[in-house]
Amino acid sequence: MECSFGITGKGYTIIASDSNAARSIVKMKTDEDKQKVLSDHLVMTYSGESGDTLQFSEYIERNLRLYGIRNHVELRPRAAASWIRAQIADSLRTRNAYQVNLLLGGFDLPTSEPALYWVDYLGTLATVPFAAHGYGAFFALSTLDRYHRPDMSLEEGLDLLRRCINELKTRFIVDLGTFKVRVVDREGVREVKL
Amino acid sequence: MLGLQPGSSTVVPTSAPVGHRFEPYDSNGGSIAAVCGKDFCIIASDTRQSTGYSIQTRYKPKVFRLNDKATLATNGFAADAEAMVSRIRQRLEWYRHSHGRSMPLHAIARMISTILYGKRFFPYYVYNILGGLDEEGKGAVYSFDPVGSYEREFCRAAGAAQSLIQPFLDNQIMFKNQHSTPEHTVPKPGEMSLPDVLKIVMDSFTSATERHIEVGDGLEMFVVRTPPSAQGEAIGAASVDLKAMGGVEAVGGEDEQEEGAVMVIRRELKKD
Amino acid sequence: MNSILSRFSSTNALPANFDNEGGRQDFQDSINGAPAQFDLPGTEPARFLSQYTDVDSSNPAARIKLQHGTTTLAFRYKGGIIVCVDSRATAGSYIASGTVKKVIEINPYLLGTMAGGAADCQYWECRLHELRNKERISVAAASKYLSNIVYSYKGMGLSMGTMICGWDKTGPALFYVDSDGTRLKGDVFSVGSGSTFAYGVLDQGYHWDLTDAEAQELGRRSIYAATHRDAYSGNTINLYHVKEEGWEFIANYDAMNLHYDGPGDNVPGAPGGGYGWDVRTQGLSSKLEATEGQQTSGQGGRFADEQPLTASVQPPQA
Repeated sequence: MECSFGITGKGYTIIASDSNAARSIVKMKTDEDKQKVLSDHLVMTYSGESGDTLQFSEYIERNLRLYGIRNHVELRPRAAASWIRAQIADSLRTRNAYQVNLLLGGFDLPTSEPALYWVDYLGTLATVPFAAHGYGAFFALSTLDRYHRPDMSLEEGLDLLRRCINELKTRFIVDLGTFKVRVVDREGVREVKL
Repeated sequence: MLGLQPGSSTVVPTSAPVGHRFEPYDSNGGSIAAVCGKDFCIIASDTRQSTGYSIQTRYKPKVFRLNDKATLATNGFAADAEAMVSRIRQRLEWYRHSHGRSMPLHAIARMISTILYGKRFFPYYVYNILGGLDEEGKGAVYSFDPVGSYEREFCRAAGAAQSLIQPFLDNQIMFKNQHSTPEHTVPKPGEMSLPDVLKIVMDSFTSATERHIEVGDGLEMFVVRTPPSAQGEAIGAASVDLKAMGGVEAVGGEDEQEEGAVMVIRRELKKD
Repeated sequence: MNSILSRFSSTNALPANFDNEGGRQDFQDSINGAPAQFDLPGTEPARFLSQYTDVDSSNPAARIKLQHGTTTLAFRYKGGIIVCVDSRATAGSYIASGTVKKVIEINPYLLGTMAGGAADCQYWECRLHELRNKERISVAAASKYLSNIVYSYKGMGLSMGTMICGWDKTGPALFYVDSDGTRLKGDVFSVGSGSTFAYGVLDQGYHWDLTDAEAQELGRRSIYAATHRDAYSGNTINLYHVKEEGWEFIANYDAMNLHYDGPGDNVPGAPGGGYGWDVRTQGLSSKLEATEGQQTSGQGGRFADEQPLTASVQPPQA
């Protein structure tokens, strides 16, 4: 029942994920942050098998940090996405693979372009203008197809995200509660209240 | 009670339950196709009948002449097809007795649909394609699913090689994915001449034979058209000399037949 | 004739026949040649059917592939009802047909849509056209009739999800009926494998006071969205408008044409141009060049530089 969205616009990427932590039929927590800020210009949402999500996201977070410490430079979004994908792909070929789905939202300084990568637990990576994971994809991808433009202003982008969440509120049986939203742009990563 | 008893032989239970799996279906391979033109319809099938990898016969017709204006192609489970065709024939005969004329094509289509749906919970495993001439004398093809959903179309392939033949017909008959150029305009579907359609149908089956193990042996192409004798001066499909192409009068169906209304052209297909 | 039809039928009886309203018996007797009793296998029909047929795409091993996979929608607004459907039928992953008529024209003022088993919808909804009794039957009654019939076959493997749309004394009326026996009155419905995608566009553009042109455009675009995202939906789109005088067929659109060129020039309500995201956004860019004094280098290692790279960062040994 987890759900996350990513939307790129003029000079920014919006990343959003629901904030429920569920176990069986029980909601354990409703303000969980299922995102990791990996660097100045890169955020990751994660969902999937509990336990795997936490272990994997922390592993990624710390290794990218280590890279920064060693080299005094952060990986660009594309490079980070490729490396993260490779970690999932390598893990898939072991006995206990991480079952984690990711969205990577970033801003690439050298090209001045926002970046969004959709990655699933099999190691499939797609570069996309907008993305969704979970059941939300069934409801909101068509909404995104209909209303998204690459040159949307931030307010338009947030409005589009509100539309998607509104669609889930009207059609999806489960109320996913509030979404945690972060915006990545040239200035870095910041949290946004919808 | 069971076991050896002194002085007697082994006691054998005589009324033990016998386990029978209810397997009322088989799949007999082969393929069928039908294409209609302005004033004719071609209904074709291969003649191989098989089960699994073994060929049961090299000549088992799957196309049945119903009357002067309707021909039915069946595919799937041959025994069900046989039972179904005889029921359809019986109903057509009853219709003639009570109405004094042959049932029109669109009515046959609806009747086949209800017959199939009548076995909705124990279906005939048969895919049907009905081809012929409608009440205006135009060529018509009706295709059915095994429980009676049906649709009128220009062309349709069904059976084992459906996925090989249908895309070819879509391209060559419906002109799908063909685009007009200044030199060449893509024609409208359903206006091709009888000899041209025959060639396409033959190519469909020779190609399907090449790539599908359940297709081959022989090809039967039934041509339904307004018979040349019924027209003052033979025009259109009626002016084509099918006899020169090896066509013979098709038999079966209702008694009074007009000469040349339904003819069948037989061709060889590869037999390996 | 019944004896011939039911030659092979076992002692299994159908669910009790309905008496007055849903009277299957007299209802069918009025139609020449319609089977009054269905032929049944010797075993449980539902189990038998699921073994050999594949009505809901759950059994790829099944021999008898029935047509299914769909997106259909219908919504009520001040100007009547918009009914829009795709035309694809699939058997497994094979596109069995791209020209299916999924809107069933029951009579000049009643429409039914088709999702699930094509034959089930065609057969039962076509039979609704007989319904008349001095005055036009209400949509509520027609849909109730249908739902009673399919409910009497519950558990026997019928599969249909349909919307019955029409205009009666109460104005535009829309009902959802399925083979489980559900019957819902409502304003907005979408049924089929692509329904969630259709809803995603439909809900966001829907309100009661839509103009006719806007409503038709919304229906078209919603089904287009479903053909774009759902592999089991596609080919062409049929659009109908139910008005007070009865239904009107608006047009048939090729989904690929809608993607690249839209519904065509001078189509009221349509903004012009293709519906496709790539077509619509051609030439637009998400690139935002840096202004004076903004950071442009890729050496964004501020994270790394903020904390000194020394051993003292590590916690001292206990």
